[in-house]
Amino acid sequence: MDHGINISLSEREASGISNVRVDGVIDTITASELEQVIDSLVKRERFRIVIDRAGGDYISSAGWGIFISNIKLVRQNGGDIKLANMIENVREIYELLEFENVLRAYDSLDSAHVDFGDSGNNIKKKSRPKQN
Amino acid sequence: MFRRPIKEINAEFSAQEIHLDDIRRVVRESCVAAGLPRKEISSVLLAIEEGATNIIRHAYLYKTGAIRVRIVIFSKQMVFSLIDSGRSFTPPGSEGIDFEKMVESGRKGGLGFYMIRKIMDSVEYITAAGFNELRMIKRIKPDRTEGRPFLRRLMSLRVSFSLWTFMVVLVCVGLSYWYANFQASRQLHQHLDDTVLSLGETIAEQAAGLLINRRSHVEFDQLIVSNMRANPELELVVLTDTSGFIIAHSEDVRSLRKKYEFPDFVDQTELNIPQPYQQSGLESRYLMLHISAGERILGSVHAVYSAENLKSQLGEARKQIAYVTIILLLFGVLAIYLLSNYFVRPIAQITARVRRFTSGDLETELPLEGAEEFFEISRAFNQMMTRLSRDRKNIIEREKLAKEMEVASEIQKTLLPSKLPNLPGMEVDAVYRPASVVSGDLYDIFKVGESRYCLTVADVSGKGVPASLVMSMLRTLIRIYAIGEDSSRQILKKVNDYLSDNMPPGMFITIMLLLYDTESSKANFVSAGHNPMLFYNASQTTLQKINPQGMPLGMPDTLNGDFADSLEEVDLEIADQDLLFMFTDGLSEAVSPNGKRYGLDKLADFVAAGLSQPGQTDVSQLAKSITEELDAYSGYAPPSDDISFIIARKMSSVTQRNLRGQTEVDSQHIRDADKR
Repeated sequence: MDHGINISLSEREASGISNVRVDGVIDTITASELEQVIDSLVKRERFRIVIDRAGGDYISSAGWGIFISNIKLVRQNGGDIKLANMIENVREIYELLEFENVLRAYDSLDSAHVDFGDSGNNIKKKSRPKQN
Repeated sequence: MFRRPIKEINAEFSAQEIHLDDIRRVVRESCVAAGLPRKEISSVLLAIEEGATNIIRHAYLYKTGAIRVRIVIFSKQMVFSLIDSGRSFTPPGSEGIDFEKMVESGRKGGLGFYMIRKIMDSVEYITAAGFNELRMIKRIKPDRTEGRPFLRRLMSLRVSFSLWTFMVVLVCVGLSYWYANFQASRQLHQHLDDTVLSLGETIAEQAAGLLINRRSHVEFDQLIVSNMRANPELELVVLTDTSGFIIAHSEDVRSLRKKYEFPDFVDQTELNIPQPYQQSGLESRYLMLHISAGERILGSVHAVYSAENLKSQLGEARKQIAYVTIILLLFGVLAIYLLSNYFVRPIAQITARVRRFTSGDLETELPLEGAEEFFEISRAFNQMMTRLSRDRKNIIEREKLAKEMEVASEIQKTLLPSKLPNLPGMEVDAVYRPASVVSGDLYDIFKVGESRYCLTVADVSGKGVPASLVMSMLRTLIRIYAIGEDSSRQILKKVNDYLSDNMPPGMFITIMLLLYDTESSKANFVSAGHNPMLFYNASQTTLQKINPQGMPLGMPDTLNGDFADSLEEVDLEIADQDLLFMFTDGLSEAVSPNGKRYGLDKLADFVAAGLSQPGQTDVSQLAKSITEELDAYSGYAPPSDDISFIIARKMSSVTQRNLRGQTEVDSQHIRDADKR
């Protein structure tokens, strides 16, 4: 199996959204590469992040860990980390692991972007379903 | 019928991250071979990767080593084992993960193990001397969704509704087209016939006038010619007298005064009724009328007229009907499309709501509106939702309780010896596998005097929290009363004196307690209602079951005497290579998948067979082979009863010298039972 991931970043000035396209498996080894990209975005105060998974298989705990450790800071600044274009297998695992409690997933980049169009408060509320 | 594994795959990798790919490949191939559905393979790979990463990152943090991958494929499940010889760790509990807290703190620990538990159907972590095993079981479920035929999926409710209604509309429109066509054709024919009949009658009247006045043939000819000019449909008109001789003929002037020949296929008796008449491929009608003056018949009119013109008229009419039909049909299809949309919309609404429900929204209710059927569905769904959200609250409560159990289990583990003491001249190993999170089994090995050690295994009746609490009490009592004591019977007497006053009624304990003196190599032991122990006599190469008499602890004194009297104290001299095997009945009573018990005899045979093998001297090796035998027998099912056992073997004097000064052996055996 070919190992390694391919990360391409495209930033939209108008909406302040950064699309991070990650192709390949996000596992223990490759996660650090993604972590650098996310860290640099957060450092540059680009808090609206969409992870495009169109070309990717599963995400290991290392990958989920990156999202979880950044999500609070990002949301406090009116942004979010959203997942888009997950292939069916990955989406099923995402649902099985109940990660929808932490991160929101979208069928397409467009729908993820549209959701950013809402006010920041709204996003924060929506992305955390009530527990009780 | 014993469920035999279909296939077993073993592979070993150096514990480095670059080998994760190789591990993944082996696992993927096994999953494909086992027929695991494709989408499950992906998640299994993820779980294995999490397990392997954990070993690489934590077990081998300070040293390098190997990961052994063992995959056993059964017809309905796969057992994945990741075995390492690094540091053991305490796996987090199975109560799930608090995402809120995780997001709040930014901490991501425990995520990997959480994922493994979610993906696999059962997870066990077993630590033994020298190795740790992460055992994960995945059930192989037949894949239903992939088998759904394409055609069946295509036939959605809406599509089949549209198709059926379209067919019905098609049949209705077709029938009405046919009927309209039939009616139009009949009316046109009728109209033509009426026209010609009245024309014939006019000719007959005029001819009658001429006949009465005995006019000349020229006038008859004029009559015919003028009528034929006025009515181009008339093809032939012939006038005859009463005896059938021709008076006037529109085509053949020379046939005057000749007998009129009726064309073939014409009924000569039919008066005043148009008859179908074919003439050189063209459609015509034949009409015969009498020329009469009052009651007197003066002759006949024979007329042939063309229906060809009528055919073109009919074609025109058909075209118009067809236009109307097509417009109706299009309108019908459009109506079907719009109606099906309208009727299916509530279903789509409900589906969308259910989707949201799967992603955690239990609050929003479906609006109670629409047709009666949907009203009912929505109401039932809302009721279900209310129930579910209530149940979820209960589950959260229960999970909290489970968490507390987890804590209890942690505390209990600290009660078991984490390191076995070093008995001079004695090799000792112990295994402990609780059936539930907390256990009623106890094993303990500790020093009680200068050269004396106490070895004990006990089984508290029942399982779970009550048994574990009594077990904690028992351990403390033994530890207190055993110090300085040289009679095993005395120890149990004191323990019982305390327990009989302080134990809940109905509970009791079976225990085997052995004191061993490393200087004199003498063992002194009692059994309070416990199962026999096995003693291997090396010089005679025999394996004996030793079962001293005694009542269980915590039983009220009976007529036969008190507890201490019932205990039979046994003294035993231990020679080089002799072996003591003390265990709880969870081992001998282990159950196979088809419900058969393992049995003491089979256990004794297995131990004897193991000891008779040359080179079989290491007790931890024996302990390992016993647990493996047990796993194989029970089909890798989690044990139904707590299991613990101690193996102690006297080293020969040669071995003893070599091993003197070696550090203590880490022999904690903890199995984290799967609670679900």
